[in-house]
Amino acid sequence: MKTPLLEIEDLCARVQDKEIIKGFNLTINAGEVHAIMGPNGAGKSTLSYVLCGKPGYEVTSGKVRFKGQDLLSMSVEERAREGLFLIMQYPVEIPGVPVTTFLKHAINAVRKHRQEPELDTPSFLKLIREESKKLGISADMLKRPVNVGFSGGEKKRLETLQLSILKPSFAILDEADSGLDIDALKVVADGVNAERSDSNAMLVITHYQRLLNYIVPDFVHVFADGHIVQSGGKELALELEESGYARFVKEKN
Amino acid sequence: MSTETEKPEIIDESGDKYKYGFVTDIASDSAPMGLNEDIIRFISAKKGEPDWLLEWRLQAFRFWQKLEEPTWAKLHYDKIDYQSLHYYAAPKQKVSPKSLDEVAPELLATYAKLGIPLKEQEALAGVVAVDAVFDSVSVATTYRAKLAEQGIIFCSISEAIKHHPDLVRRYLGSVVPYTDNFFACLNSAVFTDGSFVYIPKGVRCPMELSTYFRINAKNTGQFERTLIIADEGSYVSYLEGCTAPQRDENQLHAAIVEIVILKDAEVKYSTVQNWYPGDKDGKGGVYNFVTKRAACRGANSKVSWTQVETGSAVTWKYPSCILQGDNSVGEFYSVAITNNLQQADTGTKMLHIGKNTTSKIISKGISAGRSNQTYRGLVKVSPHASGARNYSQCDSLLIGDSCGSHTVPYVENRNKTARLEHEATTSKISDEQLFYCRQRGIGEEEAVSLIVNGFCKEVMQHLPLEFAIEAAKLINISLEGSVG
Amino acid sequence: MSGLLQNIELPDSTLPWLFALREKGREAFIRQGLPTAKTEAWKYTRPRDLQVDDFVMQTSPCHCSDECDCEHHHHSSSLGDALPFDCYALHFDNGHLRHEHLPLPRGVQIMPLSDAFSFADDIKSRLGKTLNLDKYPFAALNTAYLNEGVYISIAKHTRLDKPLALVYHTHSCHDNLFFNLRNLIVVESGAKVELIEYHHYSGAEKSRYFANLVNEIFVGRDAVLSHYKLQDEAFKAVHIAFNGVKVKGGGAYRSFCLQRGANLARNETFVSLTEEGASTEVNAAYIMNGWATIDTTTDVEHLAPHTVSSQLVKGVVGGEAKGVFQGKIHIAPHAVKTEGRQLHKALLLTDTAEVDCKPELEIFADDVKCSHGAASGELDEEQLFYMRSRGIGEDEAKQLLIDAYLEDVLNTLPDTSVKQWFASKVK
Repeated sequence: MKTPLLEIEDLCARVQDKEIIKGFNLTINAGEVHAIMGPNGAGKSTLSYVLCGKPGYEVTSGKVRFKGQDLLSMSVEERAREGLFLIMQYPVEIPGVPVTTFLKHAINAVRKHRQEPELDTPSFLKLIREESKKLGISADMLKRPVNVGFSGGEKKRLETLQLSILKPSFAILDEADSGLDIDALKVVADGVNAERSDSNAMLVITHYQRLLNYIVPDFVHVFADGHIVQSGGKELALELEESGYARFVKEKN
Repeated sequence: MSTETEKPEIIDESGDKYKYGFVTDIASDSAPMGLNEDIIRFISAKKGEPDWLLEWRLQAFRFWQKLEEPTWAKLHYDKIDYQSLHYYAAPKQKVSPKSLDEVAPELLATYAKLGIPLKEQEALAGVVAVDAVFDSVSVATTYRAKLAEQGIIFCSISEAIKHHPDLVRRYLGSVVPYTDNFFACLNSAVFTDGSFVYIPKGVRCPMELSTYFRINAKNTGQFERTLIIADEGSYVSYLEGCTAPQRDENQLHAAIVEIVILKDAEVKYSTVQNWYPGDKDGKGGVYNFVTKRAACRGANSKVSWTQVETGSAVTWKYPSCILQGDNSVGEFYSVAITNNLQQADTGTKMLHIGKNTTSKIISKGISAGRSNQTYRGLVKVSPHASGARNYSQCDSLLIGDSCGSHTVPYVENRNKTARLEHEATTSKISDEQLFYCRQRGIGEEEAVSLIVNGFCKEVMQHLPLEFAIEAAKLINISLEGSVG
Repeated sequence: MSGLLQNIELPDSTLPWLFALREKGREAFIRQGLPTAKTEAWKYTRPRDLQVDDFVMQTSPCHCSDECDCEHHHHSSSLGDALPFDCYALHFDNGHLRHEHLPLPRGVQIMPLSDAFSFADDIKSRLGKTLNLDKYPFAALNTAYLNEGVYISIAKHTRLDKPLALVYHTHSCHDNLFFNLRNLIVVESGAKVELIEYHHYSGAEKSRYFANLVNEIFVGRDAVLSHYKLQDEAFKAVHIAFNGVKVKGGGAYRSFCLQRGANLARNETFVSLTEEGASTEVNAAYIMNGWATIDTTTDVEHLAPHTVSSQLVKGVVGGEAKGVFQGKIHIAPHAVKTEGRQLHKALLLTDTAEVDCKPELEIFADDVKCSHGAASGELDEEQLFYMRSRGIGEDEAKQLLIDAYLEDVLNTLPDTSVKQWFASKVK
């Protein structure tokens, strides 16, 4: 049984005056993990921002349906509350706002949207303590302001922690391995894998094949010049590792 | 303090969100409109003051007549007609109350609306002793007996003039002389009440002392005067809160706070200022011209000013530290928020006179709507203040493209061993931060409030806990409607 | 009224517009008078204390006898030594432009200001347009005596092979000499020029004079003007300079001013970034001793979106001297995506030195990045001790630390012989 979770049709988008996504098509069903690989500068991160509705990223044509609804008409926070989650490549620092405060605001915003009661402080603390323990996040880190002075690894752990407590139905991992050493990468990958289920899906955006050893995709797509130029199974990633992206870039010229 | 006790009725025709905009219906006993020597004699007589004080007031008044209202601040307001104000308005009560039971119930109800449950506090073994000042007259001081056991004097300044004239005479005007500035001079001539605190040698005040100021009567200026004396080795934490009813006319508030800190003593002074800011078109609102100054007279003395300024149509306020004693320390932590058409010109002065004196300034300004805000500060190191240190940080946040934010620090160094550092930044809430919060499902307004509270954190953490919660709520209320 | 306003017949007062402009300057100066302690813009620098109003204006070059230490004597001498790099140099003697032939490359037009009144097409539309007479009393005074100076115009897309230099020699035998100079510098679009300004003194050591200077500078679209100034006046001199600069879209005004002379000196720069993409750097250094007051005042006005400014000012103050820095960044409403940075640092060498600083931000647009910083302190005792423990003498160690302190501001200059020249002047 295949339930389409995310359906992207002929999506075109630009940043300022530059067309970056050009006729992008992809359908992702519940239970699937897709990987998008491509050369640097191909617009992979742009795709993730467009899907999340980041201001400044303008959709010029095309449709995106998320759980059957028109995703593009929703605000950033509505998309998030509906279950779209982006693990960002470079999460921003928010001085003065402790991680726990931030998480509490986020989780209750999402719960409210799902018409679930807000979590009271003890149950909330219990939840984040449990989840942070799995990810090796210290109590001290939870008290610090969001991402301020965090190492690359700490930032990605915090992103993964949010993934595990917000339980989105669709997660995009944008270069989730950048800035991680191998141990941190394993912790993050384990955290992400633990969230995989038949009812949710993931889109893993990466330049290197390395991450896909840990988060094994069902499908791999090559992204160049604003759209998918080739699709295949997980073996395609290994092939790309061998041959590089040169031929896709060349094709264009 | 709890704010949940009773929801005040809000006069809400304009759609404004000012929670304290009710008027209490109490007959008040006021002086005729206008200002002249007779009015000053009237005030002094009403209060049964000694001759020396009347004489001092008159000297101040004569001096004031020669002064001109200052214009150097970045503030624009209609000229104040000092002859069209009442300079004395006391709630009508036959005799001054001896205990809370004797205080008019309407008054107590007002304080309950304000979130100051005096009754409750007297009953419970609370942490805060409260002096409530209503239209410049102190109406009730709680916990007096308990504090007296340790020799602490906490009462209205009128009572202090009667019962502790030596202390008052010795220190009144010693930090802020009536010649200091236009508004301080006016206050010296006409002040009606305020709080008085004396902490004896070596005593650590066991609870927070707190004053609530409220302007109620119409066309009345509020001129309270607070005097705090921390004797050698003592400590006190003092809280001040202010509200005023919502009125179309501008109300004038020109207060003075003087603090004297002797050897090894420490005073923490926290303010949450929430005078009525006027409506969204700038109608009404309090003109807040305040002179606050602490003199660290003794070695190793310390003063710490913390202020959260969210109210008033116009704010003119520079809580200052005179660091005379060697090794004395001055701190200034400030959050100022202006929205709609509010204007604030606020900051501090750190005067380094003694050796190895240290000061720290953390100022966070948030401007929204069409408001304008200025940080204005002076750090001055005199030639003998060797080893002086100052660190200043002034950050401003702008919300929307119609507001203004200005930073005017003056740094004057006349001692080579002094080390002074000043940093300032101005920016808007970053799009990246906003996107990050929203991507996690947090709504835009909530995200702004989170980020703003984070921006103010360094200051808020210096407020006593209950006050900090109240202040955080106020910040959110002040910013309502500024997003989007 | 100040004795600085003297009844002097100036040539060309027959031109009605010029006459009117001078009158406006005169009236504005009378209205303001000399700044006092209450004048906010002159809070820390008090010309009145110096009794500047007993200076005497000299309308024509000095024609005195041979034994006098005036310009005839100096004409042929040390000018080559004065600027140790190749340049097109214009010379002023005691405030008067020396009339001599200067071979100029294509695209460069230079004439005495008094000729420009009648012959330069854009003079009327530019003269006085970079300054507000009611804000700058000395520029108003300068306008009242508008006559001496040069008009420099650099045509579109002109690139000069070497810098243009304005060399001001003062070597008067007359005490209390007062001179006003106005230069109008127009850099047309796409042109690129380096301008060096050098004020120096060679005469009786205690000579007292007052140089009141105004540069009006227009930088066209995508043009670049680099303006480097060395102020090395006599130690009893008064030097007040105002630089009014307007920069158009994509254009850049880069300045550096090293002040080390005079008893009272102020170098004030007001840059207006009028169109998108305009930028400026206003950097300065001062190094002083004795009883001098040296003032660096800057005001950068961002009037358009996407404009960038940066200011770095560093000072070293010894003796009983006073260093003053006042800096302002103003961002007009809607001038979004702008960046303004400012940093002032000063080193106090003696117990009697003083530094006063007022860095100011005035911001009316939300989408901006602005910052300023200020710091003052003394030489690091630990570092001094470390060097001395390695056998370096105290004075030498101090000089090494001072050099290091000023290094970053000197590094804002391009790496050429001009930079080396400036570096040699901070000793």
